Amino acid sequence: MSPSFPRLLLALLFGLCLSAGAAPLNEALKPLPAVPQQNPLQVELGRQLFNEPRLSVDSSLSCASCHRLENGGADNKAFSIGFAGLPLTINTPSVFNASLNFRQFWNGRADTLETQIHGVVQSPSEMGSNWEHVVQMLSADPAYRTSFANAYPDGVTMNNVQNALATYERTLISANSRFDQYLQGDTDILTLDEKYGYQRFKDYGCIACHQGVNIGGNMFQKFGVMGDYFKTRGNPTEADLGRYLVTKDEEDRNVFKVPSLRNVAVTAPYFHDGSAKTLEEAVDVMFKFQLGRIPSADDKTLIIKFLKTLTGEWGGKPL
Amino acid sequence: MKTSNRRNLALLGVVALMLASVLLFLYLKSSSNQTTTYTESRDLIGRIKQLNAQWETEILKARVAISHNYDPLVTPLTEITNLWERFDTMESNHGRNDSPIWRASHEAYLTAIQEKTRLVEQFKSHNAVLRNSLAFLPTAEDDIQEQLSRLVDEDQLQLQNIATDTYDLLLSSLEFAQVTSDDKAADILVGLNKLGVNKQRLPEQFHRTIDIMSNHIALILREQPVVNRLLENIEAVPVAERLDDITNLLNTDQQRTDAIDQRYHFYMLVFSVLLVLLLVYLAIHLMRSFTVINRVNKALQTANEDLELRVEERTRELKDTQSELLDTARQAGMAEIATNVLHNVGNVLNSVNISADLVTRKLRASKAQGLGKAMQLINEHPGDLGTFLTEDPKGKLLPGYLNQLVDAIALEQQGMTDELSQLTKSVDHIKDIVATQQSYAGANSLMEPLHISELLEDALRMNSGALTRHHVTVVKEYSDVPRVMGDKHRLLLILINLISNAKYAMSDLSNRPRQMTLGVKIVEDKTLQVSVKDDGEGIAEENMTRIFAHGFTTRKEGHGFGLHSCALAAIEMNGHLTAHSDGPGKGALFTLQIPLKTVPEEA
Repeated sequence: MSPSFPRLLLALLFGLCLSAGAAPLNEALKPLPAVPQQNPLQVELGRQLFNEPRLSVDSSLSCASCHRLENGGADNKAFSIGFAGLPLTINTPSVFNASLNFRQFWNGRADTLETQIHGVVQSPSEMGSNWEHVVQMLSADPAYRTSFANAYPDGVTMNNVQNALATYERTLISANSRFDQYLQGDTDILTLDEKYGYQRFKDYGCIACHQGVNIGGNMFQKFGVMGDYFKTRGNPTEADLGRYLVTKDEEDRNVFKVPSLRNVAVTAPYFHDGSAKTLEEAVDVMFKFQLGRIPSADDKTLIIKFLKTLTGEWGGKPL
Repeated sequence: MKTSNRRNLALLGVVALMLASVLLFLYLKSSSNQTTTYTESRDLIGRIKQLNAQWETEILKARVAISHNYDPLVTPLTEITNLWERFDTMESNHGRNDSPIWRASHEAYLTAIQEKTRLVEQFKSHNAVLRNSLAFLPTAEDDIQEQLSRLVDEDQLQLQNIATDTYDLLLSSLEFAQVTSDDKAADILVGLNKLGVNKQRLPEQFHRTIDIMSNHIALILREQPVVNRLLENIEAVPVAERLDDITNLLNTDQQRTDAIDQRYHFYMLVFSVLLVLLLVYLAIHLMRSFTVINRVNKALQTANEDLELRVEERTRELKDTQSELLDTARQAGMAEIATNVLHNVGNVLNSVNISADLVTRKLRASKAQGLGKAMQLINEHPGDLGTFLTEDPKGKLLPGYLNQLVDAIALEQQGMTDELSQLTKSVDHIKDIVATQQSYAGANSLMEPLHISELLEDALRMNSGALTRHHVTVVKEYSDVPRVMGDKHRLLLILINLISNAKYAMSDLSNRPRQMTLGVKIVEDKTLQVSVKDDGEGIAEENMTRIFAHGFTTRKEGHGFGLHSCALAAIEMNGHLTAHSDGPGKGALFTLQIPLKTVPEEA
């Protein structure tokens, strides 16, 4: 054996370490993509519309009423309050990174953000309005007329309102979470515990559903794979039927879109029913009904520590 | 011919225009965006197919992966949806969606893709939990084995059996994951039952781990067939076939379009050829027209030249004719002049005749016969002549008679001498006339110095007989005119004629004395004017213009030469002869004007 061989090996290993230090990690979880290029006029119009209470029938609610950007893109209620003052039947998911979900709504009944907007504005429990009214109301406002005329060749239309809102929502990316930085190669950004947490997250199989760029949001899953969650919780509601409401397929009973875990630490309460008030509770439920396993207390803590690294930034500030 | 030609040309133009518009139409028809749409559509379908295949690959990858990113199972569908939207928009813009076959194929594809999406979603859900359980299963088994190994106070053989059973169950489960069969399923069920039995044999602390493991095995037992079935179903969903159907439809459509295009191209070719032929024809026509124009031009030029030649010829002929005419005229003139001469000679001969007659009459009535009778008386008395002369009464008268006879004969002689000299003059005039004729025949005018008044006297004298006979009084109004150079014969000819005419014009005049006025004067120092005025029958207005024409006469025995030849003669002397009359019965005035050429007086 040549004497230079160990040195060579050493050099090789060193090189590997170097390259690993800079290169993005190849994980089942993916860092957030950059905000796509959008027409700034449409984005600005969308922002105005997002904060526009006149989208609701009695001008009481805007999108931002429930999707509070300063509050993780959702409100802190189990069920948001509709225009009529009545609580909705399902928890409000975060608007952040919503564009990265493969479907919209808990039961995935909307394929696009536009369809989601369409549904919410017309929903009799949420905004209770109709598009004729919205377009008429927006057309009456000279400021909006101008903004629409600038952003769209055909001015104020239902499609343009939806498109503007969707365009704005596509910019709502909570980038630069510590975990994203880790994925992008800055492995020192996470503490050892957090890294262990990530390891546990993978080992316990959380990653089976919560993976991809949005750490979830790319598949449907039955709530209660390893046990009947709803029986245990009690008070079954219509919303608990999940995707069944969309497909009427027995297969889809209690099936929901796997929610994104991004910003999970700031978007309590959890689950479609808002039943888990804390991350601990949520993780417990997941272990029990989805994974069918019992984690050690340490592991659970580690996982929660990891989950807290998923909180991104908005407007230059951590959410 | 020309109109029909023009109509033909207009028709050809219209045909050409029609052909051109048909070509344009065909071009527009054939160059429709069908082909580009086709290519793009086929490309889109191809990409969808590719994405579909990619999707399936990702599905298969997901089947074996332990921890898997399911994003690649989402993105192909998103892209497929986008591509399909583009395709559909394009196709509906193209109007293909109207066709029921198209709609059917689209529906079939959409149904297939929806079904596949549904199955893939289910696969994702089931596969995720299945993979998770399978991944966890060795750990779950380890947990049990570890717990078992920690048990020391139990029946080792039973523990060994339990451990083996658990391990077998793990193996069967893992095998089941690889080869899903009913046998394996039965094995697992047996294993689960054993585990359940073993659980009862083991202490309480084992129950949780065993439950977890059996739960997960139950899940595997439940989910693995589901996942397998889903995979089979996914595989069975004929998305690719539907896409192939659409591609086939596209191909068929394109083939039809191609055929149509080809037909259009053929038509275009045909029409192009027609157009080209037409253009060629037009070009030929044009060239021919050009040739015709050239030919016509040439012909025109030739004709022109011909015409010029003919004109020249004609001109020459005309000139010839003119000269002939001139000759003829000259000859005619000569004849005329001869006639004139004869006429004039006739006139003079009249005088000669008269003179001869007079001499003859005088000779016949001569008193010389009386001399003979006297001599007879004398001869009867030869002896007694003296007695007779003194005695005889007859004889006594004889000497006086003889004396008277001598006077009478002397008178007679004198008269005859006069008459003969007149005769000689007339003969001289005839000679002159002949000489004039001869000189005229030479076309030369003989200019000689002359006194116009002498010429007038000559002319009067030549007409003297007639003038005397007709008792015409001649009034002479002569100005003082120097000797001039002139053509004596022509002047004489004119004067004789004018005097003769004047005399004739007054022949019927009975109620008043016949008077002719001759005038000579010089006008403006350059014209010699001779006028002959009568107070005879005059000239009728209508005859004024014809009076100098050849053959015009008002007299029964007239020839119509006189005034004509006079006018000619005047013109030949560079002068002119004019007539004036106040009307019939009011007399006439003839005026001759010739350039005045005075003879320089000899010193």
